[in-house]
Amino acid sequence: MAHIHLPDGAFSIQWIITWWILALIILGLCLYWLKKVKKIDNRTITLASMLTSASFAIFQVSIPLFGGVHMNLTSLIGILTGPAIGGIIVLIVNILSAAIGHGGWGMIGANLLVSMTEVTVSYSIYKALGKFNLDTFFKAGIGTIIGLLFGNIAMILIILISGIQGVSQPITLYDLSLIAAVNMGVAIIEAFITGYVVSYIMRVRPDIFRR
Amino acid sequence: MSELSPHIPDLDLITFYSEKGTTLFSRISPWTKGLMLVLIILFVSLDKSLILAMCLYLIVLALYFLSGLPIKKLFQWYTMPFIFVLSLVLILIWNEPGKPIFSLDVPYLPLTITDNGLLLLLTLLFKSLASVTYSLFFLMTTRYNYFSAMIYRVFPSPIDQVFLMSYRFIFITLKMVESMIKALRSRGGGLLKSARRQSKMFAEVFALTMIRSYDRADRINKAMEARGFNGRYVAATRIPRIGIGEYFTMLMATILMIYLIWFAKLPF
Repeated sequence: MAHIHLPDGAFSIQWIITWWILALIILGLCLYWLKKVKKIDNRTITLASMLTSASFAIFQVSIPLFGGVHMNLTSLIGILTGPAIGGIIVLIVNILSAAIGHGGWGMIGANLLVSMTEVTVSYSIYKALGKFNLDTFFKAGIGTIIGLLFGNIAMILIILISGIQGVSQPITLYDLSLIAAVNMGVAIIEAFITGYVVSYIMRVRPDIFRR
Repeated sequence: MSELSPHIPDLDLITFYSEKGTTLFSRISPWTKGLMLVLIILFVSLDKSLILAMCLYLIVLALYFLSGLPIKKLFQWYTMPFIFVLSLVLILIWNEPGKPIFSLDVPYLPLTITDNGLLLLLTLLFKSLASVTYSLFFLMTTRYNYFSAMIYRVFPSPIDQVFLMSYRFIFITLKMVESMIKALRSRGGGLLKSARRQSKMFAEVFALTMIRSYDRADRINKAMEARGFNGRYVAATRIPRIGIGEYFTMLMATILMIYLIWFAKLPF
């Protein structure tokens, strides 16, 4: 997850409620699709649970690059499961992260919208690139970097719209450009890692993607 | 004890305290603690005063300390919330209107930190730390079976199902990741300096985690179905009810919160 987790107290209450409502609508759509269209089965529930725990466990690992980087691999979740199950997984990962202090409880709505953007865009780009004769590493890497770019844009838009409590000057895109630049630096590492992970799984266990 | 990064809360340690805790706070109804969390989130979202944010943080820290939870660890676990707050407001605190405290002479870009800029940083930091400390206090004083029953009652299906199962799987997966990282380090993996090699090596660990998780999910599902699992994972534990004293405490806390936020006159 190459973006910062917004902490509690950063947004005013009306924006917290707004982002929560938007996130719940999107989550509701995911649930509707899973129940009525896909008809979710026991196996999918077990699989989603395992991927949630894997994503959370991977987040605990500090990768020794640039002083230590942590990743949830949201884009990888999107590529492996698609936006509907991916949405549920990132919701639970966001709740678990808030429980241990990574991102605020009130900010789960806003953080979920950012994660959902990453999941959906990464999945769509990865699928769209399937038509081209590209190596799996590049397909997943490009999908991830574009997904994380859109996730960053979503995060910056959310901050620009909501404002930060206590900041009296208007927040500009220029102010947030440094955060965006750092996030995109981490996004490049995440794109490499996701590319390697997807190509490794494709090489060792291609049946996972077929199912 | 699993500790993949010292600055990330250790789930094994959290579970140890939540299961073995015998203080008054471990006996309070989990619903009361959950509702108090909502109240704290409301407080930090409505509050604009540094004094109130600091007072809230000190109260929550005192609760954490009185519950016999590890304070030294807590300060280590503050690293990530601290980084998130800093990365969000570090640029915004410059040039806030107010009394200048510190200036940087950069050509064409005057940078000044004022008293209001510093207040902004400290207020957000204390709010964030109050929320994080209470959240960890809640986790470390509430038993797993109460949490699972609360999740089962609060979330709709299939979110509750995925949530309940993933919580159980986290510990298995953490052990798996930990053993793979240990194996990697014992073979000299930590000595590699190339960023590309490091990324590739960690990617292989993560890919293996995903594959093993997938296989384990398949096996567990088959085993559960063989035992009659029909897609509903039921958490039937009775959660302790909210007592009269707890209702009274919550009411007083709400009244105090309303008074402090809307009526109290504080200098900053």
